[in-house]
Amino acid sequence: MVYIEEAHPTDGWEMPSNFKEGVLIASAKTFLQRDEAAKSCVVKLGIHIPAVVDDMQDSTERAYTAWPDRLYIVDREGRVAFKSKAGPFGFDPKAMAARLESLVPSSTR
Amino acid sequence: MRTFIKYAIPVLVVYIVLLSGLFVAMLQPPEVFGRIMSKLPTVAYFLFPFEPMWLAARRGRLKVGEPAPDFSLKRTDGSQVVRLSSFRGQKPVVLIFGSHT
Repeated sequence: MVYIEEAHPTDGWEMPSNFKEGVLIASAKTFLQRDEAAKSCVVKLGIHIPAVVDDMQDSTERAYTAWPDRLYIVDREGRVAFKSKAGPFGFDPKAMAARLESLVPSSTR
Repeated sequence: MRTFIKYAIPVLVVYIVLLSGLFVAMLQPPEVFGRIMSKLPTVAYFLFPFEPMWLAARRGRLKVGEPAPDFSLKRTDGSQVVRLSSFRGQKPVVLIFGSHT
C-alpha cells in the first residue's frame, strides 16, 4: 500500500461516513503526522502487506494521479501493466486480480 | 414557446458555467479540490454527472506499457526505504494507493 494524502480530512472534504466510522483525521502538515495516520490505518484495518508513506510533496500521488485511491500493477520490466480508473468509482480490485493472475498464474506461486 | 426560451437559455448557460467550474475544480490538486467540495452543497453531486467527469479529469498521463515512475518511500514501521525499481527483474508489484479517510 502507498499511503497518500487524506481523501476526506477533518479540515477538508469531510464526509458523513467519517463520523459514522469514527475516522477523523486532519490533513497531515508534517511527514510525521502522515506516518502516524498510516500506522494507525495499518493497525485498524489489519493490513498485512507492506505499507509505504508518500512524501510531503505528494510526489508519488502526482506521478500516478492516485488520489483518493487507485490500483496499479508494475510488471517485472518496471512497466505499468495495469492501471485502474480513478477511485473511488474506478477502484476495481477484481480487474486488478485478473490482470495479476495473467502475469503470475496462481498455479506457479 | 417564447417564455420557455426566455427561461431555458439562461438556465442552460448557468448550468454549463457551473459544470465547467466543477470540471476545472477536479483538475486542481486534490487538497484544493477537496476544499472546494467541502463548501458545495450535497445537491451538487446529483445535479452534475459527477462520476464520468471525475474519471475524465483524473485520467492521468501515465499509460499502460510505459515505465512506472520510480519512487523511494519509507515503510510505516520505519525499518527501511522501499525503492520500486528494486523489484525490476524480480516480480510484479501491486500498488494500492489510498488513505484511511
